[in-house]
Amino acid sequence: MIKFNHVFKIYEKNIKALDDINFSVKKGEFVFITGPSGAGKTTILNLLYREDIADMGSIFVNNEDIAHISERKLPFYRRNIGFVFQDFKLLFDRTIYDNIALPLVITKTDKKFIKNKVEEYIEKTGLSGKENLTPWHLSGGEKQKVAIIRAFIINPPLILADEPTGNLDDESSWEIMKMFEEINSKGTTILFASHNKELIQKMKKRVIKLDKGRIISDESV
Amino acid sequence: MRAFREVLLNFKKSGFMSLISIGTIAITIIILGNYFIVNKGINYFLLKVENKIEIVVFLKEGYDFDKIKNTIIELESLIEAENIKFISKDDAYQDFIKDKEILTILQSFEKNPLPDSIKIKLKRYTQKNIEKIINILKSKEGIEEIQYGGKEIENLINILNVIKIITAIIGIIFVISSLLVVSNIIKLTIYARRQDIYIFKMVGATNFFIKIPFVLEGIVHGFFGGAIGWAVLYVIINILLTEIKKETGLDFSKFYLFTPAFFSINFLIESLTAGILLGFSGSILSLGNIKEK
Repeated sequence: MIKFNHVFKIYEKNIKALDDINFSVKKGEFVFITGPSGAGKTTILNLLYREDIADMGSIFVNNEDIAHISERKLPFYRRNIGFVFQDFKLLFDRTIYDNIALPLVITKTDKKFIKNKVEEYIEKTGLSGKENLTPWHLSGGEKQKVAIIRAFIINPPLILADEPTGNLDDESSWEIMKMFEEINSKGTTILFASHNKELIQKMKKRVIKLDKGRIISDESV
Repeated sequence: MRAFREVLLNFKKSGFMSLISIGTIAITIIILGNYFIVNKGINYFLLKVENKIEIVVFLKEGYDFDKIKNTIIELESLIEAENIKFISKDDAYQDFIKDKEILTILQSFEKNPLPDSIKIKLKRYTQKNIEKIINILKSKEGIEEIQYGGKEIENLINILNVIKIITAIIGIIFVISSLLVVSNIIKLTIYARRQDIYIFKMVGATNFFIKIPFVLEGIVHGFFGGAIGWAVLYVIINILLTEIKKETGLDFSKFYLFTPAFFSINFLIESLTAGILLGFSGSILSLGNIKEK
């Protein structure tokens, strides 16, 4: 599903964010990307999401070289990817309902369908009764739950997560990980950037370890 | 519907900025409305003045009638001339004696002292047209004197044209300032909402989906600015008309520009259209920024 082929990304002053990165991810895999700060985890996710473009090499998603996706087609490519951030990236002046419904509103989905789908997920994740509140009224764990539902609600084949448990306590982190596992069990490919060693060990998934922009190990459990 | 909700949300978030944008459009509409009234009023006045202006040519005693007839035919063929009329001394006499005072004067003469004359009406009363006619007449025989409004009328027309140009320049300056204010305020709104725009892009929103609320915001600002501008002008004109009537007894409310039918409906529609166009153009000018967000 994903193939990185000799990918280089160099920022100003010759800082190599990615240095000859090669790896593949099969459909339905759950892969952790780990390493210290500045190792290149976020850069890999940004390139996949086409926030940025590689300086050298190629990245294929579903056999398509994503560097060649035009500006016009980019929004449609992004609709196949769910993104979860450490800082949630929620719309703080809108309700939980509006935040979750956003990807469906953008794709002009039927209002009734949106209502049913959003309510279903709100109930499943224990956020019932909070749908009309703004994110200001939620705990960190709850905010991240909302972000995950928003990423998953259109059933994208790929979810990218950038340190989604970075701001959460252990209990909330485990709840979030369970959500990701459940999503993955339905066939969604997940690329999960984290430097939380304990959490990665417990999950027993494939781990790609980065350091200074290079892959230093790629191990499957 | 969604776009209207976004506009409302923006207004809640940055209401003061929106008020500045609406206020600027309102001021521009007042200035433009002012230009419109001054311009229309001057044009109306000029038309009235021009209708009364004519060149009068007095003919010498014992002139050659055939030659004058040819001159009249020549003048009639000019595109500048609207109407050429020969007035015999008898016709002039009949016309003058309608006034009793002039009758007394005329009766003191042994015979009719008035000469034959030609009255020339021009299509447009411009210096160029007048000069052309005068030059033709001067080259002809049998002409005693040529009379026309001359310098005074020309000066008046020039002054009125300068007023028109000044109001137009002020209008243009305000249109440009208004466009800049609206576009910069929408740019600030876009900046304030850059995080939201990023999230929209992240979940796959197209540029069109993101831009529409901002365009609508400009249009809404323009609509309210236009309505407020019209209302202010309406109140000012009404107060002025009442005061002028009270002080001088002159009733301008019958002048077509100030009749209720003209001022309340046509002018309202024009003010709203101008406001909406300003708001729309201002927002379009600012939207290039979204791509970089």
